[in-house]
Amino acid sequence: MGNPLLAYWHRMFDGRRHDRPSDAPPRTPVPSVTQASTTIFLVLRRMRIPLIVLIVIFAVSVFGLTLIPGRDENGQPFRMEFFDAFYFMSSTATTIGFGEIPNKFTDAQRLWVTATIYLTVIGWAYAIGSLLALLQDRGFREAIALQRFIRRVARLREPFLLVAGYGQTGELLGRSLDALGRRFVVIDRTDTRIDSLELEAYHADVPGLVGDARNPALLGVAGLANRRCEGVLALTDDDETNLAVAMAASLLRPELLVITRTVSPAIAERMHAFGAPTVVNPFDRFGDYLCLAVRAPASYQLMSWLTGVTRAELPPRPQPPPPGRWVVCGYGRFGRAITAHLRDEGMEVTVIEPSAVAAGDAEVVAGDGFEPGVMARADVAHAVGFVAGTDSDTTNLSLTAAARRANPGLFVTARQNEPSSAPLFQAMSVDSVLVPTELVAREALARLADPLLWQFLQVVPAMGDAWAAQIIDRLTSHCGHRAPVFWQVRLDADEAPTLMRWLAAGDARLGEVLRSPEDRERRLDAVPLMVLRGDETVLAPEEDFQLSVDDELLLAGRPAARRAFETTLSVDAAGEYVTTGRYAPSSWVWRRIARDTKVTVGR
Amino acid sequence: MNLEKVIFGFFVLLAATLNFGFFIGDLADPELHNVNELYAAVVVNLIATVLKFGDRTQIGAVHLATSLVADLQLISAAIAWAYASHVSSEGLTGEAMASVVSLSGGALFANVVSVVLLVVETVSFRRR
Repeated sequence: MGNPLLAYWHRMFDGRRHDRPSDAPPRTPVPSVTQASTTIFLVLRRMRIPLIVLIVIFAVSVFGLTLIPGRDENGQPFRMEFFDAFYFMSSTATTIGFGEIPNKFTDAQRLWVTATIYLTVIGWAYAIGSLLALLQDRGFREAIALQRFIRRVARLREPFLLVAGYGQTGELLGRSLDALGRRFVVIDRTDTRIDSLELEAYHADVPGLVGDARNPALLGVAGLANRRCEGVLALTDDDETNLAVAMAASLLRPELLVITRTVSPAIAERMHAFGAPTVVNPFDRFGDYLCLAVRAPASYQLMSWLTGVTRAELPPRPQPPPPGRWVVCGYGRFGRAITAHLRDEGMEVTVIEPSAVAAGDAEVVAGDGFEPGVMARADVAHAVGFVAGTDSDTTNLSLTAAARRANPGLFVTARQNEPSSAPLFQAMSVDSVLVPTELVAREALARLADPLLWQFLQVVPAMGDAWAAQIIDRLTSHCGHRAPVFWQVRLDADEAPTLMRWLAAGDARLGEVLRSPEDRERRLDAVPLMVLRGDETVLAPEEDFQLSVDDELLLAGRPAARRAFETTLSVDAAGEYVTTGRYAPSSWVWRRIARDTKVTVGR
Repeated sequence: MNLEKVIFGFFVLLAATLNFGFFIGDLADPELHNVNELYAAVVVNLIATVLKFGDRTQIGAVHLATSLVADLQLISAAIAWAYASHVSSEGLTGEAMASVVSLSGGALFANVVSVVLLVVETVSFRRR
């Protein structure tokens, strides 16, 4: 179950609070499956023969009973009426059996009844058996599941995301979305993944459907046809499927946010041809991050902290190697991306690749990294960094070990393909580990979080290392070492009614409002990260920053600080106290009195 | 020739004819209305209804609706007859018989609609 209050809120104020015209129907009619409504028809159609058999058996039995002469208690001839016969057959056929009525039967009647007892039992057994067989039928069960899914999606009263592909990435993302209170719907090809939705202890109800996400009709029932759908995430491990989902989403609902995953630059190109999806290529992004970690360790630390899971610990700052030569092992898609990024950064790169296909553009050493001699030929001893980037975890681990043996001071980066290998990579104390599924989940989450936070993250790398270190210091001094929660506020009459007078008076300093509504001497544990005024952005504004009406604020802080700040924004008395220090009475009567006598208490 | 269509048409028509057979005659005269015929009409109508199950077309839906109406009317007639002849102290009076027959008359109307639908469906069918 979702939060009923939230659901109510969205139902009442849906259109007003969101800039997106969420109430507008989709531009193009979205296909939908008619398969679901066939369920009942299927049952009826297959039940035809059993039901007719049952009716015929009943009819014949009842009619026969009215034909056979009986005798009443005086020995007079007596014919059963349809009413008696029907009553008797009903009680007999359903195995209730009230005895022979209205009179004791004659032998002729008993003969007939004996036959009909067996007949009706067969009829019932056949009908009930057919019904049970139908309920066990795979197609029927799928149809039932689909119909149930459609109902559950239709019942969602809050904006939700459509997640296609519930693998490791989907699961990681699902947990974080659930923690953030976002709703989502899942489609996956395998039923074990959908079953695992039930085992996952989500707060909200997550509808899941087994099906091929390439089918636009399934996407339609899963949310594309629903006006509350606010985004589509294509996270399957198949690039073609992701492309198909991105295509369907941007053709049918161009206004939706689309996030797709791919490891192929060519597919990414094709995805960009449709609308403006956010394409996450984990290899490419990891290349970016690796370069950032080498160039600006603090920026990297800040980025990975803020995009991490909710309330994550501050990750350690990487100790980057000095500029120098890097050795990349494995020249597949990952190796190529990393090599390109490192070269862009101005590093010299040596590639080790068993099948020397990559020859030509790089200094390539042919051979397996862990073969004797290969490490020496690549001159690992004089390199500064090493990348183990094959698609096998055992290979990557042995490469790491071999490289460490050749050069203990090496900065080692490894690609971890399976989540189960995580403890091994940890034990190797690899300097930087790429877990593609995790990276995609984090990138997608950052994109789905507040739009202002996304904007903030975009500019972090450009601001330089010293600035990032300063932001980290500021965040840790106010909010501790757990990642803060983020929220954004627009200072207008809707979201900050209590501050309007204060803002209009001019000279409204940011530091003055970040005060506890209980004691204004105490500063709130919140850090303003960004102020957006029109098109102008101010990053990490200082305490004396002058606010004005319609500014948008991005704040980071402890959850308690967020609650306190929201109290200040919405409760008149709190807003008054924080901005002026006056205790404004909160009840209507006292306010009327206070208006006349100007009662001021405290400072 | 489709055997399913033959059986379908047979039962739809038989339901209507049996119904008509029971209905015809002076409304209040029990002599003119055979209870066996009412029984047969109920049974055949039920079978016709089941035969109409599971048809997804529009005309199939209307078919099913008319059959359900006929069932309702005929079963009401059967109950009215059972009540009059077994429960009521006055027995099967002319008044009671009239209500049984008029109920079956309503069913007859539904059955006629069913037959009309059958004819329309047949006439509008073209093999391409």
